[in-house]
Amino acid sequence: MQPPSLIYRLTVWIGVALLLLWSLGPIYWTLVSALTPSTDFSNRPIHLFPQQLTLTHLERLAGINIDRIGGVQVWAQFRAALFNSIVTSLAATVLCVAIAALGGYAFTRIDFPGRRVLFIATVATMAIPGYAVLIPLYRLMIGLHWVDTYVGITLIYVSAFLPLALWLMRSVFEALPISLEEAAQLDGAGRLYILFRIVLPLVGPGLTAAAILTFLGSWGQYLVPLIFSPTLTKPLTVLIPEFSTKNYIDYGLITAAGSVAIVIPALVVIFLNRYLISGLLAGSTK
Amino acid sequence: MTSVALSGALNTKRRAASNGDAVLGLLLVAPIVIAMAALVFFPLVETVWDSLHRVNPMQPGTPFIGVANYVNMLSDADLGRAWINTFIYVVIAVIVETVVGILCASLINQVRVGRQWLLAAVVLPWALPGVVNAVIWMWIYQPGAGLLNGILMLFGLPFDNHVWFNDRVGAIIAVSVVHIWRMMPLTIVIVLAAMQGIPDHLYEAARIDGASRRQMFFSITLPLVRSAIAVAMTNATVSAFNLFDEAWVLTSTSADTRPVLIQIYLETFQNLHFSYGMALSLVVTVVSLLVSLIFVLRVYNTTRYD
Repeated sequence: MQPPSLIYRLTVWIGVALLLLWSLGPIYWTLVSALTPSTDFSNRPIHLFPQQLTLTHLERLAGINIDRIGGVQVWAQFRAALFNSIVTSLAATVLCVAIAALGGYAFTRIDFPGRRVLFIATVATMAIPGYAVLIPLYRLMIGLHWVDTYVGITLIYVSAFLPLALWLMRSVFEALPISLEEAAQLDGAGRLYILFRIVLPLVGPGLTAAAILTFLGSWGQYLVPLIFSPTLTKPLTVLIPEFSTKNYIDYGLITAAGSVAIVIPALVVIFLNRYLISGLLAGSTK
Repeated sequence: MTSVALSGALNTKRRAASNGDAVLGLLLVAPIVIAMAALVFFPLVETVWDSLHRVNPMQPGTPFIGVANYVNMLSDADLGRAWINTFIYVVIAVIVETVVGILCASLINQVRVGRQWLLAAVVLPWALPGVVNAVIWMWIYQPGAGLLNGILMLFGLPFDNHVWFNDRVGAIIAVSVVHIWRMMPLTIVIVLAAMQGIPDHLYEAARIDGASRRQMFFSITLPLVRSAIAVAMTNATVSAFNLFDEAWVLTSTSADTRPVLIQIYLETFQNLHFSYGMALSLVVTVVSLLVSLIFVLRVYNTTRYD
């Protein structure tokens, strides 16, 4: 095999550099801006590397130097929104993966009436965008007094990401050799024992992939919480755009809050990349 | 006799077991059925039903009006504009994401060292919240202090205080760029996975025959990743039809750039035309699925002859 030519290798490296610049450049700029004093923002010529760093914006978010916008304390709002985002995303993830794992196992391994129809009907809803059910859901949630509650928003997230998680879990269970379970059954093990002691410990990667997709999906929601979590349970995604008002856009605050909203998904991508990719592929080949 | 009795006993035992199994199976899927029925199927039926009625919290009663909501769409000028905007977004997003996405995937496929980390960096924009992406880019596009104008000025170009959202073309492109930044990673991941599945010996054989890299790309790689491309294009189409966050944050309710989804939101939650909004959301769903179907069918038809 001939070694690749110098020009070819150079082209690849330039391409990779451009791709990295395109993907990470905007994120880099957000993190840098979050640490740049507001007075340096309009310096021209622009400095691609910060000339001096400040923690002012982050301190305002954390409530160290208390600042007010429109009479409302930013840090109290921010802390509540961060807490809300974490609570609702985690709750939706745990609930969704648990339900999908139990159901996925039943759909693959247990024979019961309506099995095919129920599975197809559930998975087919992946093709229905959320806004097609938004208005009846809104009326339902108002009727139940669940608007602006953790229960309401969490259940909506669960119903939104359940089909994908179920699809993923079924393909994971199907790939598992059935002989293990049959052997356990011959030894007199019950279904639930087999499920919890033998099958579930083997599908850790599948559970992780389903959890990542649900978590990232819930963390990034905007339109749904805009309607269903307007005040008390408002998440970061709804709060951050509110920092830009008609008269004044506080970019220091926006980039600082944005950085916080970036860090958590970034950690997921960096440390769980392999599971994420496998989940994406299973989810996209519907 | 005994064997018959025995097998009969076994049968009833098995039947009892499978009955128990059926109950267990239904119990295990019950949470799914309840959640989907209450939060998806029931609301969906209600959407269809209400779209045939006049539902408006400002007006008493919900009279049956047949397909009037659907007929009204035809003469709704704002909606027509929104449809045109949405189609422009879809065309730009699908073409750019597909062409550039395939190029990026084949580029990553050439990288041997640290591919995993490169892929993590590429996927990152997709994993971030859509509104946060929009806010990041709003800051980049900012006229006085933004990164984009700053960089263009470093090259000596006259972009001091240039406003990117002043004209329709500029604004639509600016919104599309943000959407592409977020959704192209998905195309890259899907196509790259298909490329990694192509056996090496195909390339070896072509190399022995003296094929150039360009020839190998067009006669081996591209035909073999066609179905992955169809999947990626379907995803790209559906997500471009669902464009909301980016346009909402960057251009608010501007009619010049407003996609159909924002139109639905305004009709529903600002004008309180509930049933009109529901009829619209059904139409958008059907249209986005039909367009995706075209890609799938075209690709299957063309691959069949290979």
